Parts: sequence; C-alpha cells; structure tokens
Amino acid sequence: MLLSAEKVAKHFGSFRAVAGADLAVEEGEIVGLIGPNGAGKSTFFNCIAGDVAPTSGRVVFDGIDVTGAPAEAHARLGIGRTFQMPATFDDMTILDNVMVGAFLRHPRRGEARDRALEVVEMTGLKEQAGLRAGNLGTPGRKRLEIARVLAAGPRLMLLDEALAGLTPGEIQRAIELLRAIHALGITLVIVEHIMEVILSLTRRVLVFNQGHVIASGKPQDVVNDPAVIEAYLGRGHGGARR
Amino acid sequence: MTRWGWLPLAAALLAYPWAVAGSDSAAFLQDMGALVLLAAISAAAWNILGGYAGQISVGHAMFFGAGAYMPLLVYQHWQMPPLLGVPLGIAVSLVVALVVGFPTFRLSGHYFSMATIAVAELVRIVVGNWDFLGAAIGLQGPARARGWYDLIFRSAVPYYYIFLGVLALLLLVAWQVQRSRLGYYLRAVRAGERAARSLGVPVRRYKLYALMLSAGFTSLAGALYALKTGFVDPDSGLGILVSVQMIIIAALGGAGTLLGPLLGAMILVPLQTATNTWLGGSGSGLTYIVYGGVIMLIARFEPGGLLELWHRQVTARLARPGEVRHAA
Repeated sequence: MLLSAEKVAKHFGSFRAVAGADLAVEEGEIVGLIGPNGAGKSTFFNCIAGDVAPTSGRVVFDGIDVTGAPAEAHARLGIGRTFQMPATFDDMTILDNVMVGAFLRHPRRGEARDRALEVVEMTGLKEQAGLRAGNLGTPGRKRLEIARVLAAGPRLMLLDEALAGLTPGEIQRAIELLRAIHALGITLVIVEHIMEVILSLTRRVLVFNQGHVIASGKPQDVVNDPAVIEAYLGRGHGGARR
Repeated sequence: MTRWGWLPLAAALLAYPWAVAGSDSAAFLQDMGALVLLAAISAAAWNILGGYAGQISVGHAMFFGAGAYMPLLVYQHWQMPPLLGVPLGIAVSLVVALVVGFPTFRLSGHYFSMATIAVAELVRIVVGNWDFLGAAIGLQGPARARGWYDLIFRSAVPYYYIFLGVLALLLLVAWQVQRSRLGYYLRAVRAGERAARSLGVPVRRYKLYALMLSAGFTSLAGALYALKTGFVDPDSGLGILVSVQMIIIAALGGAGTLLGPLLGAMILVPLQTATNTWLGGSGSGLTYIVYGGVIMLIARFEPGGLLELWHRQVTARLARPGEVRHAA
C-alpha cells in the first residue's frame, strides 16, 4: 500500500468539510476522485498533501505516518501535488519554476538544471522555457504545475483538477502526458470533473459527497450508481427504486 | 546582463575618485561617491531578504544600528579600536535576527512589515534611553587616529575603496545566492509560499537564512558608516528613515535584482545630497518629500524598478519577429 488515509476528517468550526473519508492507493494505480462542487475533495487532498492538518484520522504514506506533518515533509517523502488554482511562480521563467522542483532531489544547480530541461522537454514546455510563467494562459500554467511537481521526483502525484479549463484538444494532450507520467512508475490520484478524463485514465473511482466517500468502484459502474447520480443531480434523478 | 557586462561598471567605480580629482569640488564628489557605495551596500543587504525572498522588512535599521553602535561602544568604554567592534556588531545582529525572525515570520505580507517597524522602533526608544549606549546623545569614535587601525582618514578616498571592496564582496555573495538553490527557493517563497512548500521548500528555515545573511551585511554597512563618520545617535543609526532608505533605493533600482540596489543608490543619494545642499539646512525635511515622490513614481509606473524597465526594453528589442529566444 503506497497511501492510506483512514477516517480523515477536517472541520472548519462546525462545518465538516471532510467527515471521515478513507482512501487506499496501491503503488502504480491511477485513482479518480469525483464529486459535486463543495463535496470536500480539495480539502481531503490538502489533508493528504500536508497543506492542512486533519482534525482527526490518519494518513500513512509508504508505511510512514505523515498525519499533520508539514507540506514540505510530504514533498520530500515523495507526495507531489498540483493546485486547483494554478500557483505558478509568475515572475520566474518556466525553466526556473521547474528548477525549484528539481532542486529537491538535485541540490546542485547544474544537475537541477539538467533535470528541469528533461522535464520541460517531456511536458512540451521547451519552446517557452525562457518565458516568464506569468505569460502563460491557464492550460500552460496547469502544464507547468505538473512539470514542476514531476521535477521534484514524486512517487505519488495528487492532481487537483489539473485539466479543468482546457479545450478538448488540450485535454487529449494532457491525458497523453499523464499516461507518460504514469508509465514512469508514478502513482496518480486525480480529482476531475471531466468524465472523459476519468473514464479514459482511471480503473478505480471514488465519489465524494458532503465529506464522505459515497461510492467507489470501476468508473463505468460508479457513474450509473443511483447514489452518485443523486449527489450530482439531486433527489428524483437517482432512479425510481428509492 | 551579458557575461562581462559588469566589467565597465567595475572599471568606472574604480576610476571614479581619480576621475573627479581634478574638479573644484573633488572632496565633495569623492565623499558623495563613498556615500553612494555605503547606501548601495545597505540596500543590497536588505535586498537579500526584501528583494529575493520578498519579505519587506521596515526594521533593518536595527541591524544597521547594531553595526554602527558596537564599534563606537568598544572605543567609548574601553578605548579599543572601533574595528574590533565590527564582528561584535555582526554577532549581535545575527542574534537579534534569530530572536526577531522566529516570531515575525509567522506573519506574512503587511503584517510582517508592521511587526518589523514595531520592533525597530522599540529598539530605537530603548537605546535612546540607555546611558551605557549614549542615550539620546549617541556615541563618538576617536577624534584623531591613534594608528592605522582606527581607520581615520582625512580624505573620503580610502573609505571609498574600503566600501567598494565590501560592496564587491556582497554582490559576489548575492550573485552566488541567486544562482544557487537558496536563491531559487527564496524567489519561490516570494512568489507563493504554499506552492513552494508543496515542492519541498522549508519556507521558514529559508526565510531565516535570508534574514541572517541580510542582517549580517546590513550590520557591516552600519559599521562602515560609524567608522567613516565617527558618530552615531538613535536617529542616524536606528531611525526609521534608515530602513526606509534601504527599501526605496532597492525598489528604485529593482528589488530582487543583483545590481538594482547599486543603481538606486547612484540615483537617490546624489538627489538627496543635491536637495540638501541647494536648500541648505532648512531643506532637510525635503528628504521625506523626495522619498515619498520616489515611492509614488515606482508604485505607479514601474513596480519592478528601473532595471526591470531596462530589461523590458532590451527584451523587446531582442524578441523581434522571426527570432525565438530560448533559455540559454
């Protein structure tokens, strides 16, 4: 087991953003995480990535309890993540952005630069490598976030709507990129609204609603689950058998 | 800047005291040159924390003051050469940096800046009431040189070259920082702490590194100031204007750039001297007005500073159609 989150809860005052969610990910998997807006997916992600400490529950990565450890410790252990709102370093060049990631495993500048150049090539950002990140549009920034995390040498990548806002063509290229990253042996957990991405990449999907995992299984089965349809569309659409 | 672009600049700085030696106001111009270099050192030291790491300290006067007070203190009380107080001042600064850094780095943005103002003002008020440190009157260095080690010269030229040497050392350090992991991490911290953390940057530790490096060199600047003027009081060593001057100079030239602080000092210091000279003693309040004007101009037209403006012009010229630029 690469990652296991057990009964993770995060409360903001009396609001339970995440109310006891479990997630177990095997090395080499691609797991999808879906659910309506406000279901708690991002907060759950932030708990796993160490961005916020869970109110209760446990997060274990590769046998090490990382619950409540700072985000930088998660990164060092091999948990990489992207942000729902791209958080690129806009004043720095694209290559320098990627180098910040690469420095984690390559403290020397020359090696970090070589690594960053490889990653920039692989992620298709080579042509723009010398431009400031702030010049990129949303698709480019999302791609840069992926590149930056990749350069940091993760074993697990948490992608928070990394493909949202892309055109159909860009989505196809992004799916290919994620496949290539997966082929490197990196485990992926992706939060995504675009079903095309979920259906073409993942074999296993968890559905979040109101802070709970309400369903899990193969993507095709899950999307037909009445509880899931109800979560998305409201009562009355979940089938007549209720 | 191109690889050897700094050479003409270095040559010009080396030649400056000779170049103005024939002028009627040679002594005045040489003295101003030394002041420009001193201001450049302070601003470049501030720039490590405020520019690269984006943590806008408005309290750097406390490090400058520590550097300025210690050399004169060891002379005043024990008649030791002021030079011996320089490492002491740096040591005090580093301790203060650690003590101040731990709590204030929990704050971000404006809150951090306000906290640094508060701490620095507190230090100024305490020192101003502390007889051991000269209270409101301040401290004085030796009136006459007892030996070379007192570093007292009638001409500004020896100071000029000492300052130039220190500035060169500081810029070398800053250049190394810029190119290293430390520099990349500091810029990442400035651009977004949360994202930096997610990439494995231990944000608070790196902020502390930047603060200590910055405080150490700021304190050295204070020491050089005290050695040259042989006098310090709470206003000239610890006043808020000391901090504000560093910020304005760095911001004017380009905060977070290597040569921005030097460029800013080359513009602001002569401007300040000019307003003070032309308008006599009554013009000293004008410093505030000049600072205010500079702040407004930078904020309105070029938040990146003058080097950014220049950089953009050059980039625009280089990036003509048909020419694709790659990262070198």
